[in-house]
Amino acid sequence: MDQNIIKKCLAASKEMRKDVIRMTYNAGNNGAHVGGALSMIEIMAALYLGVMKFNIQNPTDEARDRFILSKGHGVMAQYAALKQIGMITDDELMTFKKNETFLYAHPSMNPEKGIEFSSGSLGQGLSLGVGTALALKRKGNETSGVFVLLGDGECNEGSVWEAAMSASHYKLSNLTVIIDENRLQYDGPTDDILSIEPLVYKWNSFGWDAVSVDGHSVEQLLEALSVKKDKPYAVIARTVKGKGVSFMENNPYWHNGRLSQQQYEQAMAEVTA
Amino acid sequence: MTNLEKYINAFTTTFGIGESEVEGLEYQQIKAWDSIGHMSLVSAIEDAFGIMMDTDDIIDFSSFEKGKDILKKYDVEIESV
Amino acid sequence: MIDFTPSNIRMWSRLGSCGAFGLAALELPAIDDKVVILTSDLTFFSGLERFKSAFPDRLYNLGIAEQNMVGVAAGFAKEGFTPFATTYAAFASLRSADQVKVNMGYMKLGIKLVGLTAGLSVGILGATHMSFEDIAVMRAIPNIVVLSPADCAETVKATLAAAKIKGPVYLRLTGAMNNPSVYKEDYAFEVGKAVTLRDGSDVAVIATGTMVYHSLQAAELLAQQGVSCRVVNMHTIKPLDMEAVNAARGAKLIVTVEEHGVIGGLGSAVSEALAGQAHRPPQLMIGMSDCYCHAADYPYLLEQYGLTGKQIAEKVLISLERKQ
Repeated sequence: MDQNIIKKCLAASKEMRKDVIRMTYNAGNNGAHVGGALSMIEIMAALYLGVMKFNIQNPTDEARDRFILSKGHGVMAQYAALKQIGMITDDELMTFKKNETFLYAHPSMNPEKGIEFSSGSLGQGLSLGVGTALALKRKGNETSGVFVLLGDGECNEGSVWEAAMSASHYKLSNLTVIIDENRLQYDGPTDDILSIEPLVYKWNSFGWDAVSVDGHSVEQLLEALSVKKDKPYAVIARTVKGKGVSFMENNPYWHNGRLSQQQYEQAMAEVTA
Repeated sequence: MTNLEKYINAFTTTFGIGESEVEGLEYQQIKAWDSIGHMSLVSAIEDAFGIMMDTDDIIDFSSFEKGKDILKKYDVEIESV
Repeated sequence: MIDFTPSNIRMWSRLGSCGAFGLAALELPAIDDKVVILTSDLTFFSGLERFKSAFPDRLYNLGIAEQNMVGVAAGFAKEGFTPFATTYAAFASLRSADQVKVNMGYMKLGIKLVGLTAGLSVGILGATHMSFEDIAVMRAIPNIVVLSPADCAETVKATLAAAKIKGPVYLRLTGAMNNPSVYKEDYAFEVGKAVTLRDGSDVAVIATGTMVYHSLQAAELLAQQGVSCRVVNMHTIKPLDMEAVNAARGAKLIVTVEEHGVIGGLGSAVSEALAGQAHRPPQLMIGMSDCYCHAADYPYLLEQYGLTGKQIAEKVLISLERKQ
C-alpha cells in the first residue's frame, strides 16, 4: 500500500477532527451532531484522500466518483473533508449552522461544492445511490463509482433494505456502501433500541459482498475500499462514536451536543495531541 | 365491401397481418393482439359497422370466430366463407 | 407520431387512463432519448406491456417498494435522465411522501411521478387503494407541477407534456376503463392553462379529472332548468391558472368538482386563490366528504359521494336557492 496516501489520510484525519470540534464550538448553544461526525472521520479521509476521483476545477465532471452522505447529520466530517481537498475554505467552514450559510446542519444539494444530494431524512441515500449507479451504467460510464455512507442506526429504516435488494437485483458492482457502525443512536446503544446486528450477515443475505473492518484504521479502510467486486459491496466500519475525545467516546449524550469553552479546549488538546 | 370483407379488414389493418392469417386467430396468439391491440380492433370494428359494443362483449371477443357470433347481437351478419 | 383521431381517442377511452398512459409512453423515447420508466411491480397495470417489449432496457421494475422507487428515480434525474415512475396514487402520494418531499420538492429533481387510479375507480379494493388525499399532499409540497387530465385523450397530452417539463411533475390519473371522453378530437393542451369547455354566466364550474365530464353533464341538465353554467377544465392544479379562477368571479356561484377529498384538493386551491378578494361569489365544493366509505364498485361510489352529473346539478340548484 502507498505509504504516502496513508500518511496523507492520517494527517487529514487529525485536521478534520480539529475542524469538527471547531465547528461544533462555533455553532454555540445550538450544538452540533458531533459524535457521529467524529466516528466517520477516517472513512471520509480514506474516501476523499485515498479512494475517490474528483476534479476540483470541475466539480461536476462526469468522470468523478459520486459520494452520497445518507447519514446527513454527520455532515461536519464531510465539510471538513471538502476543506482538505480544497473544495471549501476555512472561512466557509466557520459559517456552519450560521444564518445564510450553505453549510447546513444536514447537507443541501450543491454540486459545485461537491455535495451531490440533500439529505437528513434517514434511510433515503442508498436509493439515491442505486439510481445514480443505474444511471451511470445506462450512460456507459464504467469508471465512476458510487459511494454511500450510512449510519448503523439509520439501517433501522425499511427503505434502506428496499434499496439494498434493488442494488443486488440490478448487480450494481459500481455501488459501495460504507456503514459507520458506531453502535449508538440517539436514544442509546443500537442493541437496546432496535437490534440491527449482525450487519455483515444481513448485507450478505441481501446479495451483497460485505466485509467488516476497523473504521478508525485508515489502512484497513483503504484496503477494503480498493477491492473490485462484481456485486454491490458493503464495508461495515466498526467505529466509536465521539472518537478522539475522551469524554465523548461511546457517550450517547454527544449524538448532538454543545461545547463549553473548557470542554472545547480539552477536546482540541486531545485531538491535536 | 361485404361484411366479411369489412370484418377481415379490421383485423388485417389493426394487426398488420395478411388475410390468410385471420382464420382461427385468437387473443394473445400474436404480439399485436395484446390488450391494447384488442381495444384497437374493437374500435376498428365499431367504425366499420357503425356500432358501439358493450363491455361484456368486448371482453368476450376472444377470437376471430367468436367475434362473428358477438356481432350478430348488433345485427351484423358476417357471411360464411 | 400519435394521432388524436376519433377512433384512437375512443380506443384510449376504452383502455382507461392507465392504458392511455402506457400508449403515450411508447412515444416518449422519440421525444426525449433520456426517458426511462420505473415501476413498482405494476408494469401491466400501468399499461406498459408494449413499452416493455419495445424498450426493455428503459423499463426498471423496482418491485413493491415505492419509497425506493422514488429515490432511484431521483438518482436518474440527477444524472440527466427523465424518469417516469408509476404506482397507485395512494402509494405515490402517501407511502413515499417523504421521498417525494425531499427529492421532488426540496431538490427539485425532475421526476415524473404517475399516480394511477386516483379517486374511486378501484373502490372495491377498499380505502387502502382509493386515493383522495393525493392532490392535497402534492399541492402542499413546493415545486411540484400537479397535472390531472380530464379524460384519456388528455392523459396522452399530459404524459407527453410532462416529459417536456424540466422539474418534478405529479400526474394524477383518474377513471376506469371506458373512461368517458370530454375530447372527441385534437385540441390545444398547455400546462397551467385551463380550458373553458362551455360558457355560461350564472354558475362557474371548475372541475378536474373525471369530474370534468360529469360537470358538463350537470351543466346540460342545469341549462334545461334555465341555469347557465360555465365549465372549466382545470387540468393543471398547480400552478393554478389564476386568470381562469378570476374569470369565475363574475358568476353568482363558483362550484369546484373533483374526485378527491374536499379538504386540500382543487376546491381548496380555488378557495385559497380567492380568499383575499373582496368581491367573490360563494363557492360550492363538491368532492368526497371527510370519511372513508365502504368498498364498492366505481359507479356505486360515484353515486354515494354525489358525483354524477345529475347529483352535481341538484347540489348546484340547492345552493342557488339558498343564496336567493
